[in-house]
Amino acid sequence: MNNEDYITSGILELYAAGALTDEERREVEQTASHSPEIRAALLEACAVMEQYASHYAVQPRPALKNRVMDQIQAQTANTAEEEQPVRPLYPVNEREGSPYKWMFAASIALFLLSGFMSIRFYQNWQSAEARLQQALASEQTLARNYQTASYRLDQQEQILQVMRNPAYRTVRMQGVEAHPEANVLVYWNAQEQKVFVDAVQLPTPPAGKQYQLWALLDDKPIDAGLISMENGNATAPMQPMKNIAAAQAFAVTLEPAGGSVNPTLEQLYVMGEVSS
Amino acid sequence: MSVLYDMYSPALFGVVLQIVKEEETAEDVLQEAFVKIWNSFQSYDDSKGRLFTWMINVCRNLAIDKIRSKQYRVSQKTKEIPASPRAIYGSGSFKPEHIGIREITEKLNPEQKQIIDLMYFEGLTQSEIAEEFNIPLGTVKTRARSAIKTLGKLFKGRE
Repeated sequence: MNNEDYITSGILELYAAGALTDEERREVEQTASHSPEIRAALLEACAVMEQYASHYAVQPRPALKNRVMDQIQAQTANTAEEEQPVRPLYPVNEREGSPYKWMFAASIALFLLSGFMSIRFYQNWQSAEARLQQALASEQTLARNYQTASYRLDQQEQILQVMRNPAYRTVRMQGVEAHPEANVLVYWNAQEQKVFVDAVQLPTPPAGKQYQLWALLDDKPIDAGLISMENGNATAPMQPMKNIAAAQAFAVTLEPAGGSVNPTLEQLYVMGEVSS
Repeated sequence: MSVLYDMYSPALFGVVLQIVKEEETAEDVLQEAFVKIWNSFQSYDDSKGRLFTWMINVCRNLAIDKIRSKQYRVSQKTKEIPASPRAIYGSGSFKPEHIGIREITEKLNPEQKQIIDLMYFEGLTQSEIAEEFNIPLGTVKTRARSAIKTLGKLFKGRE
């Protein structure tokens, strides 16, 4: 029987109208699966019957929907509760829901993954930040150390220059009777009029007081500047003072902060004559 | 499933009602059918046919089993009053874009309509019809075919 004859035989219509036995139905399905032509005709006949059936449509009571949904839900819950042995009976559930389930599962997995990744990246970023801070800090320390070192080197060079220069004269100022432990060195270059104090050994000045250097020329005191001190030590080993053109001796007195115009002789600490 | 129910329940309920002729039973059958549809979604195969046809067939089979069961026959005997009028006429107004039942009945000749309804709503097979009504098997086939052809033209012309 060719396709044309098969289609016109009316068997497809019987199929659509449900007048075939199970065996006959299977035969029709089998035949239809081999021929697109028959399949199309079969689907058409079924579609017609669907439309015919639709004309008898009656809206069921709304309560029925709840009943149906409840039962399906209860059954789904039961199926979920029962373990493996039951599942093969309804593999359908898994299959039907699978695209959504997969999408749902995939989205959850992606969400978890992204959460995990962001935590990791955050941690990496944090540690990188911390290491950067450390690096910056050590770099700063290094720079500071370098500055200190080069500053000290400058000072040492200055000291060396002063000491090597024969034009400088060294004046050792000894402590007076009241302060025998005090001791200060003065380097003085008469030609360039330059004065430095070094090796300052003076008691820590009380608050609001400062040591002042004087040059004495013909018993007249000339202000030679203030010695800056910190925590009982001179802030720098070789402190430049005011220029002095001529002097016979140098002396240091304790004066109010900022210095005085005339020395307070009662507060004389050290004094030394310029050896000619 | 809820969507499926909303979409198809009126049509399926209509079919079931045509078969069992009694609203209460029809509700039971429809409920059973939906549970079965839900549970055996896998046995529905897209290559075999249309989803709606498959769903209708699930309902039809259950409904026909119901009217054939002894229990049902007994209960039918005790209740001789016909079911609600809805069961008999269906609701032509449910889908206004469709042709009413009356129009269909006018276009189909009584023999054609009878044969379709016997198959579709009574669940008789071709050979049962041939035997019961004493017509040749070939005639049953031709009538079914011409009935569906007529319906197809009718629906196509209106859509």
